[in-house]
Amino acid sequence: MFFEQLGGNLIQGVVLGAVYGMATMGLSLIFGVLKVVNVGHGAFIMVGAFVTLFLFSSLGISPIIAIPVAFMVGMGLGFIFYYTTIRKLIKAPELATLLATFSIGVLLEELIKLIFGSEFRGYNWAVGKIDLGITVLPMSKLYACIGSILIAVLLFLWFKKTRAGSAVRSVVEDSEGARVCGINVGGAYALSFSLGIGLTVASGVLLTMFIPVGINPYMGGGYTLKAFVIAVLGGLSSPYGAFFGGLVFGLIENGSYTLFAYIPGVEPFALTRFLSFVILLVILLIRPTGILSAK
Amino acid sequence: MKRSLVGGFIVFMFLLAGISFAGAAPDKIVIGHPACLSGKFAKAGEQAVGGIKACVEWVNTTYGGVEIGGKKVPLDYKYYDCESKKEAVTSLIGRLVSVDKVNVVFAPYSSGLTLRGAPVTESRQMLYMDHGGASNEIFQQGFRYVVQTIGPATSYHEGTLDMIHKIAPDDKKVALAYEDSEFAKMVMLGAKEHAKKLGFEVVFERTYPKGVTDLTPLLSALKASKPDFVLGGGHFEDGQLFNRQMADLDINTNGLSLIAAATLPAFYKALTTMAEGVMGPSHWEYGVKYSAEEAKAAGLPWIGPSQEEFMALFKKHTSEDMLPDYHAAEAGAQVLAYVLGVQKANAIDSTKVRDALGSLKFMSFYGGWDVDDSGLQVGHTMVDVQWQDGKRVIVWPKAAQTGKVCYPMPTFQEKAKGVKAVPK
Repeated sequence: MFFEQLGGNLIQGVVLGAVYGMATMGLSLIFGVLKVVNVGHGAFIMVGAFVTLFLFSSLGISPIIAIPVAFMVGMGLGFIFYYTTIRKLIKAPELATLLATFSIGVLLEELIKLIFGSEFRGYNWAVGKIDLGITVLPMSKLYACIGSILIAVLLFLWFKKTRAGSAVRSVVEDSEGARVCGINVGGAYALSFSLGIGLTVASGVLLTMFIPVGINPYMGGGYTLKAFVIAVLGGLSSPYGAFFGGLVFGLIENGSYTLFAYIPGVEPFALTRFLSFVILLVILLIRPTGILSAK
Repeated sequence: MKRSLVGGFIVFMFLLAGISFAGAAPDKIVIGHPACLSGKFAKAGEQAVGGIKACVEWVNTTYGGVEIGGKKVPLDYKYYDCESKKEAVTSLIGRLVSVDKVNVVFAPYSSGLTLRGAPVTESRQMLYMDHGGASNEIFQQGFRYVVQTIGPATSYHEGTLDMIHKIAPDDKKVALAYEDSEFAKMVMLGAKEHAKKLGFEVVFERTYPKGVTDLTPLLSALKASKPDFVLGGGHFEDGQLFNRQMADLDINTNGLSLIAAATLPAFYKALTTMAEGVMGPSHWEYGVKYSAEEAKAAGLPWIGPSQEEFMALFKKHTSEDMLPDYHAAEAGAQVLAYVLGVQKANAIDSTKVRDALGSLKFMSFYGGWDVDDSGLQVGHTMVDVQWQDGKRVIVWPKAAQTGKVCYPMPTFQEKAKGVKAVPK
């Protein structure tokens, strides 16, 4: 029974972790390139969730199609917020960008509330399940996991194989040097911010494929906290580290629950959170830049 | 001598003026409310504000105002958005009392927020009426000015357990899985005690943290305990998640009752067929027949709009598409309790109204109202609802039934194929 539950929870943990990882990549990308901490991160995830809800419930469009749509919506929002707000604050003290991104998050929450109301919503996308014996895995969760991995690979290829990706990497390495070499640093910042927001909004779609309920304008708060933990775990400036951190986080959350459940008199859920933060602290002590972060 | 006579006369005149001032009815009575209009309790807060506005209008128009010293005084309602945040609740209560000079404070939604505001009103000796905080803990702190309209949390699942005990005497194994919040803990404490009294066996009991986004590990463990039925939940968000992930993991039990979530229309809207057969305890549901005649038969005074009048007034103050749920009804009933309290005290002084409320018993569209010495509501009876073919049906108690219960509920595989919960 113990191994059956542990195995089942670890499978669920990997699937969940992949989605968590994907939901953190945008945060790490923006910090890595612009050194901007996006505390409105969860609000962009929420926008992705509402894009999915609207497309599926009102237009009958599959959540899979919603992924590229949400990505484009996110890119659009990224460009708008970059050129109206972030661009002017890049060289400002950190507090200014923190307040700006916090304000953007609140603005998005209130706008969505105005349009869709404050009700907790959900949708039913019935695409079957796989019974693995030790656990049952809905296909929607599996699609979300595959989608997350695919997007992470595409981002990796974009960075490595495209001129725009190389330009962004060179700006990360040395923005002044990149400018001297004729790279449009401002453009690279704008592109990175928009790409980060695009990924974050798209991750909102994947999260609702994983859990298609609880969609509401204020749903992002919990995800922001988790994303920060995962980002620090994986390396705050590394999108791949963030993805890896998500997998670790998912496995810890789900796997340790089964272990803690066998300790009499304790509430396992509370201990899984405790363990996540203990591991985070240990990793930061050993490797302060996170697991996969560059120097 | 002459000087002391003049002095005495002046003092007498001042006292007289003071007495006549104290006895005079005010131009209006102001209700203050830190309302949850945004944040995680926005939905319940919106309902509560709608319910309060509906009953304030009824009092001011149909009822003609609150009678003090032979004069009819209108109610005024002043509210601010507390954003469902504890720190905002305390500062807004301070503002309502000090700046807006309100005569009574209505608590925000939820036990946590209500409890947070109680010391602030208590320190100002201000009446604090609780319509959305069910936790018994609020009334175990020794507060004098807190009065409850919502029923106590410990009684939430008594009806559900009584019903299962009666209709399925062989179902003995119950699982409890709930949010780690004051409210849910109290509900389950009451449920556990009542379950033991009825001879049920609690085969699983675990909590999950607030704001949880994945319940898979807990539900996998719950599945392994093979319960006959499950009592769970905490608030709306986690209730939706609970039901959804039970469906995802194919955890089939004969019954599932979720507090706070399962009674709301949005619950079914989000889960559609997956919510079929799911039950939930409720303070009030449209269809529960409380009327002036029933009040007369019970020997209680009646006040307030009829159910239909309340519905119409609520829609007027919210939107045509919005239906009142129990959050609206209990908030509205609180206005009526306050009005009767003021009239009984013939004053707006918080201490006098609190004393009057302590000996008040009445019935309204919301049902019975009566508080004990601590301010805890003991006069209101809860009902159990079940989703059947997309509709909320009151299945318990028998006296309030609008339909029979469907037990056992269909399995999640059956529901996925479109099978509805139909009573046999």
